[in-house]
Amino acid sequence: MVVRTAEAFRKKSGIDVRTGHRAESIDPGTATVSGRNEAGRPFTLPYDRLLIATGADPIMPRRPGFDLPGVAVVKTLDHARHIKTMLQERPIRKAVIMGMGYIAMEMAEALRMREVEVTMVKPRAQLLPWMAPELAETVGQELQAHQVQVRTGFDVARIEKSGQGLSVVAAGNETLAADLVIVAVGIQPNSQLAAAAGLELGPAKAIAVDRRLRTSNPAIYAAGDCADAYHVVTGQKVWIPLALRANRAGWAVADDLTGKPVSLQGVAGTAVFKVFDLQVARTGLSVAEAAQAGFQPATTVISASSRAHSHPGASPIQVQMVADKNSGRLLGAQMVGREGVAHRINAPAVALHAGLTVEQFSQTDLAYAPPFGPTWDPMLVAANQLLKLV
Amino acid sequence: MKFIVIGGDAAGMSAASRAKRQDASLEVIVLEQSQTVSYSA
Repeated sequence: MVVRTAEAFRKKSGIDVRTGHRAESIDPGTATVSGRNEAGRPFTLPYDRLLIATGADPIMPRRPGFDLPGVAVVKTLDHARHIKTMLQERPIRKAVIMGMGYIAMEMAEALRMREVEVTMVKPRAQLLPWMAPELAETVGQELQAHQVQVRTGFDVARIEKSGQGLSVVAAGNETLAADLVIVAVGIQPNSQLAAAAGLELGPAKAIAVDRRLRTSNPAIYAAGDCADAYHVVTGQKVWIPLALRANRAGWAVADDLTGKPVSLQGVAGTAVFKVFDLQVARTGLSVAEAAQAGFQPATTVISASSRAHSHPGASPIQVQMVADKNSGRLLGAQMVGREGVAHRINAPAVALHAGLTVEQFSQTDLAYAPPFGPTWDPMLVAANQLLKLV
Repeated sequence: MKFIVIGGDAAGMSAASRAKRQDASLEVIVLEQSQTVSYSA
């Protein structure tokens, strides 16, 4: 979806948008950016302030056959157009999707809607390892119900040409036939320009920025998927590249640049995605992430109803909630259900920003009416259970 | 003041638009390697 065109920005906003212009180097000494335009003509531009907003790119494994036609990543609009063109130009009956994150899940759904047979593969044993097995199981069942084959423990060693199609070969030589292979194994920040200019990098080699989005060079900002951020629960730097914080960081750069006070709190890792008829959401830390950050995690998994018992059409909402045993602080929540999940996650997200304990969260006055939930909201049911463990 | 933005997506265009709106005297240049700015995934 294109929100606004380059032409609209030029005419209406007075911003000199130069498409087809690739920045190739930054020289902080002379405060210049150099690169090439579409015609291959070099340019060098001086700046007073520079913003690096180079985003992130999909990871393409360096293994044999990933350069074959029919193997595609998906991140940008152009990637999506490329996949759509392939689906129109030749018969595609079978697809293998590498990865089981939310991009992979969304692609599985999109391909099933076009009646393509879909097999999802990943090297590790567990589907969605950041949530409780009971919750991941529900997601697995939803995929199965829509004829998506899920193959965990399938580590792709190479892709080969096989007749008109492709053969996806695992480390143990097991093969899967495919007409299309979608590679959705993760993304990495585009921080090469920044690194070459001597700027400091943070987690996952994202560009390190402070709460005002300044890099280690005070004249250069970085924002969006290429930059890191503070985690509101751990206080540590993290790289969780999502859209809201990219937009917010962009605003913060503009504010700082024009003399407004700026100090961003950071991210809680709040995310939501759709898997066919399921909503899957998370905020804060998983049990493993909590332990890794030095907390003593206590956790509970509950199942509650999406509507009051008397109300027709109710379905289960499963909640996992995590807290720190020592301090009683709420650390995170994960949730799966057919309705009422996507926005319900925002309550614990706000609690994380406020640093609430489970006890404090369990006292919050959440909304109730029969069509929207039980008297005790599923969030409160989970908090009440968790309270017994901290 | 000359403000150069490398990358014309969510963060880049948000910064460019808001900066220009808040200070019309800013010279804002966005360098985007593709033909598309500000797409939404």
